[in-house]
Amino acid sequence: MRIFLEQFLNGLTIGSFYALVALGYSMVYGVMKLINFAHGDLFALGSYLGYTVLVIGAGWITQVLGVWGGVAVALTAAMLGIGIAGLVVERIAYRPVYKAGRLPLVVSALGMSIFISNGIMAIWGPRFQAYPPDAIPSAILSFGDIKITVIKLVTLIVSLGLMALIYWMVEKTLFGAAVRATALDRDTATLMGIDFRKIILFVFFVGPALGAMAGVFAGLNYGRIIFNLGWTYGLKAFTATILGGIGNIPGAMIGGLLLGVMESLFEGFVSGAWKSVFVFLVLIAILIVRPTGLIGEKVAEKV
Amino acid sequence: MKKTIVWLLISVLSVALLITGCAQPSTPTPTATTSASPTPTPAETIKIGLQAPLTGNFAAEGQWAKQCVEVAADLINQKGGILGKKVEIVIADDGSNPKDSALAAQKLISQGLKEVIASYGSSVTAPAADLYDANKVVSVGYGCTAVRLTMEKQRPYFFRTAGRDDTQSEFFAKFAVEVLKAKRIAIMHDNQDYGKGVAEDAKKYLQPYIDKGECEIVYYDAITPGESDYSAVVSQIKEINPDVWFFTAYYPEAALLLKQARQAGVTCTFVGNNSVPTPEFEKIAGVDVIKGSIHLNEPMPQFLTTPEAKEFMEAYKAKYNELPGSIWAVYAADALNALAAAIEKAGSTDPDAVANAMRTMTDAKGITGPLMFTERGDRKNIPYYAYIYNEEGKLELYWPKD
Repeated sequence: MRIFLEQFLNGLTIGSFYALVALGYSMVYGVMKLINFAHGDLFALGSYLGYTVLVIGAGWITQVLGVWGGVAVALTAAMLGIGIAGLVVERIAYRPVYKAGRLPLVVSALGMSIFISNGIMAIWGPRFQAYPPDAIPSAILSFGDIKITVIKLVTLIVSLGLMALIYWMVEKTLFGAAVRATALDRDTATLMGIDFRKIILFVFFVGPALGAMAGVFAGLNYGRIIFNLGWTYGLKAFTATILGGIGNIPGAMIGGLLLGVMESLFEGFVSGAWKSVFVFLVLIAILIVRPTGLIGEKVAEKV
Repeated sequence: MKKTIVWLLISVLSVALLITGCAQPSTPTPTATTSASPTPTPAETIKIGLQAPLTGNFAAEGQWAKQCVEVAADLINQKGGILGKKVEIVIADDGSNPKDSALAAQKLISQGLKEVIASYGSSVTAPAADLYDANKVVSVGYGCTAVRLTMEKQRPYFFRTAGRDDTQSEFFAKFAVEVLKAKRIAIMHDNQDYGKGVAEDAKKYLQPYIDKGECEIVYYDAITPGESDYSAVVSQIKEINPDVWFFTAYYPEAALLLKQARQAGVTCTFVGNNSVPTPEFEKIAGVDVIKGSIHLNEPMPQFLTTPEAKEFMEAYKAKYNELPGSIWAVYAADALNALAAAIEKAGSTDPDAVANAMRTMTDAKGITGPLMFTERGDRKNIPYYAYIYNEEGKLELYWPKD
C-alpha cells in the first residue's frame, strides 16, 4: 500500500506537468481549432526564462527575498514573459494566416515550434543547463517512510489549484461562458456581442503562461533543462489532450493526470522498458472506444 | 464526424513525427577544415578526418574530441609531422545520430580521405564504420564500446582506441562481488545500444558468482532516456533496497536518477558506468548527491601517468585552461596518435598498408598507454578502474590502487 501510494503521488506530480501543458493545447484548440505546436516550445522557453532570472538574480533576489521569494519572482517573470510571447506568436504566426484555412495554420505552428526551439539553442547553447542549486528550495518532508521534496509538493498543490481556478473561470463565470460559446460556435457567439478578439487574447496569454509555470517548476524539480525539452513534454501533453478530449478543459486536466499516473504505476509495478508501449496502447484503445477522448463530445459535433 | 477527428489525430501525429526530425539541430554543419599549422601548402599535408558529434545530444563530447585531436595534431606537427609532412584535421559533424553519421562519413570519403577518426556512440559509429569500410577508408572509433562493432562482422578497416562494453562489465562483476561484497545487485539500463549492452554483459559475468550463491540480481530493467521524472523507478529501487545499484547509461539520466533517489531516501551504493562521471553530471546532480557514488572508468584524464599524457595535458591546459572533459576525447587524440604511428610504420597513407600496420605495430605509445590492436580491431590491454566521489565532490581512485 505504501509503495502504491508513493507511486500514485509520483504519477500525480508528473501528470500535473502534463496537465498544465495540455491545458494550453486544449484552450487554443477549443477556441481556434488549431493545434498550437509551438506550445511545447513556449513551455521550454518559460523554463529558460525562469533559469535566466534565477541565474542573473541569484545574487540578490534570493538574498533579499529568500529562496521562495526567488522562486516566486522567477515564476511571475516567466509567466508574464511567456504570456506575452504567446500573444506575439499569435500576432505574427497565426493571425495573418487565420483566414487561409487550417493547413497553413498548422504549418505556421510547426514553423514557430522549430523557430523557438532553435532560438533557445542559439541563445543558451545546445548543452544541458542546470538551475542554480542555491536558488532551489531543498527541504524534504517525511511522512513515515515516504519522502517528498517540498518543491514537489508545492508544484502539485499550485498546479492543481491553478487548474481548479481555470476550471472555475471557464465553467462558472460570465467570461468563461463567452469562451465556451466561442468554442461552440464562433459566428453565433460574435452575433451575441462576444468580442472574439478578447477571447483569443485570453487563451493565447493564459495557455502559454501556464506552460511557462510548468517549465519553471520542471527546472526547479529536476534541475536540468535542455533546448528540446518542449518536444518531450509537448508530445506527452498533446497525448494527454487527446486522451482527455481536445478542446475540453477538464479533459486536458484529467488526461494529463491520468497519463502521469498510468506511466508511474506501470513503470513501478511492471516494467520501465515497456512503459511507453503500454501507455500508448491504452491511448489507442481509448480512442477506438471513444474517438473524441474521455470527456470530449462537443468538439465532434463542431468538427 | 467521429471519423474526422480520428483522421485529424492521425495526420497530426504523423506531422508531429516529422518535426522530431527537424526540430533537432541535427543538420551537419558544412565541413570545417581546421589546419593544425599556420600555412601548410596542400601538397605537403597528410589529411586525417575527424567525425564527431559537434551538435545534438553528445555535443559536449564532440567539442572535447575536436579540441583533443587538434592539440594532438599540434604536438605531432611540432615534432615534425608524419613522414615529414604536417597533419591536417578535416572535421565533419555527425549530429549525434546515425542518419547524419552516414552523411558525415560520405562527406569525408568524398574528400578523398584515407584515414579518419570516427566516432562517439556505438549506434552513431556503426553506419559510418560500414561506409568507411566499404570505401576502404581506415576508421578509428574513440567513444564506441559495443561488442558487436568488432565481434559481429569483420570490418577490416575498423579499429577503436576505446575498450569494449564487456571489459567494463567483467570488471563490474568482480568489483561488486569481491570488493564491495554485494549480495543483492540491481542493474538498470536505458534500453539503448550502449547501456543495454553493458547491462547484459554484466549479467553474463555475474552468472558464475550467482551459480556459486555469492550474489543475486534483484532488479533488472530499463528507464526511458530523455525524461525528467524518474520517481517511479526510484520508488522501486527504494522498495527493493539493493546493496549495489549499477546504472549503465549516460550522465543526463544518471544525474537525475541519483538526485531523485537521494531525495527519496535511497541509500544504497550507486555504481555508474564509464559515461556517467563527467563535469555535467557533477553540475546537474550537485556535490551532496554525488558524494560516495562509485564510477567505473578507463583511466580518467586527470589520473593518466604516461609521459605522453603529461605532455598532452600540459599542451591542452595551455590552450584551453582546463583538462579534457572525458576520456573519450582523449581516446580520439590517441586515435590520431595510432593512425600517425601506423602511417609512419607503413610509410604511406595507403589504407591496406595502414590497416596492416595498425594490427602489427607493437611500439606505438599513446596518451592512454601502448597502442596495439587485435586482428578484429579491438585495442589490447585496456586498464580499468573504479573511482569514488569524495566529500568535496572530487573523484578519487578507489580500486585497484597499485
